[in-house]
Amino acid sequence: MWVIFLYCLLSVLTEILAGVTKFPFIGDSYNIVQFTLFSLFFYLSLKDKKFKYIPIAGAVVFYIIAIRNFTNIGFDTFSSSLASVFIIPYCILSLYEQMRDPNIVIVYNYKKFWIIAAFFIYFSGTLFLYIYIYTLPKEQRSNYWAINNFFEILKNILFCVAFIMKKDTRPSYLTDNLDPDI
Amino acid sequence: MILLEVTNPDSRVSLVLFFGTIGMLALTIGLIVFIIFHQRRVIRYQLRLQRMEQDQQKLLLNASIRLQEEERQRIAADLHDDAGPLLATARLYLNENLVNLDKTTQLQSIYNAKQIIDDTIQLIRNISHSLMPPTLKNFGLESAVNDLFQKISGSGSMNASSRFHDYRERLQTENELIIFRVIQELVNNILKHSNASFIHLTQNTSGNKFFIRLHHDGRGITQSDFNKLNKSNVGLGLKNIQSRLKVLHGQIFFEKDMSQTYYKVTIELIKEEMSTPEAGLQ
Repeated sequence: MWVIFLYCLLSVLTEILAGVTKFPFIGDSYNIVQFTLFSLFFYLSLKDKKFKYIPIAGAVVFYIIAIRNFTNIGFDTFSSSLASVFIIPYCILSLYEQMRDPNIVIVYNYKKFWIIAAFFIYFSGTLFLYIYIYTLPKEQRSNYWAINNFFEILKNILFCVAFIMKKDTRPSYLTDNLDPDI
Repeated sequence: MILLEVTNPDSRVSLVLFFGTIGMLALTIGLIVFIIFHQRRVIRYQLRLQRMEQDQQKLLLNASIRLQEEERQRIAADLHDDAGPLLATARLYLNENLVNLDKTTQLQSIYNAKQIIDDTIQLIRNISHSLMPPTLKNFGLESAVNDLFQKISGSGSMNASSRFHDYRERLQTENELIIFRVIQELVNNILKHSNASFIHLTQNTSGNKFFIRLHHDGRGITQSDFNKLNKSNVGLGLKNIQSRLKVLHGQIFFEKDMSQTYYKVTIELIKEEMSTPEAGLQ
């Protein structure tokens, strides 16, 4: 959870910095740090040792491409699309692992589930936006940016759910007889 | 605004973007909802399994309680019907001894009382042997099974033989007793219901597994019959076998031989479970 907290803090800081200064590499740097934190989150949350290598390998590939595309014209949407392409399978992998974990009785009682759902919805929703935004006429782009804002809000709401949720500390024998309909 | 641009027939990209985003979102939400519902179904299924297991355990417990009660009744009947009258008769002879002062009559009644006391000792020994066979206690499972099979063969009605291939180290006595009781129950069932002409028992080990196999050429049951009988209220002996094996975390398989002429019963046990003294107490 500290990784997500750090990510939220970084997002706020970037927004403030982008508003105050005209530093040219803010967008791309944010992209790289953001992906690093996501990879770290998935690396820490995946339990299967074989799966743990996937975020590491993904991060290496992403760094190579992102650094090659490092531009000063603002925001590199190709790296963002690539991040989405990597994060969506990570989310599916994490959800699959949660489904198979016998210790997890009810999946939505866990903070991790809401964090993954937030990532999943955000990156799925903005994938097409990042791919196509630069093919649109300049005057139309700002209109479509509302999609990003909408999913950003949705992601933050889901993060809030995860942060507000009480940690599930009940021993498994108490939750064993829990009827999902109750 | 976005909708207006999407509906513009010239804007192909915006159409792809709009429907692509909607499609991805639908897929994502669909997947999350599927996971939640799938998990609910899994939980419901597990609950049903748990309930079925509880029912099964209740049946096994009832069977073992009934068996214990039957055993107690049998011992009570043996003591009351056999040992009681014998001791009463011996007392009568000794009483007569006090009344009758004739030397020859006294000697005769003492001799009779001694005979009756010998019979009572033998009777009590038999009862105690049925509770814990001395061969099993002193010489182990192999000797006890051989002894049991020799008695069966000696009766002439059936040919019974056993062969222990890998039994160099004895198991814990209480675990040996459990296995012996299971074998006894199986042999008893074969004698009662199968009309077989032979029983052959083999023991061997493979890795950390300990196997005991019983072959016979009579009428037998298969695994599906065993499962059916285990879930029903009949088949007390089979439930008793199951509850005994549960103590050792063992399994039993009933099958027909490949040649379709013999029935095979395999008891599969884990060596480590039987070597530890706690296994019997769990």
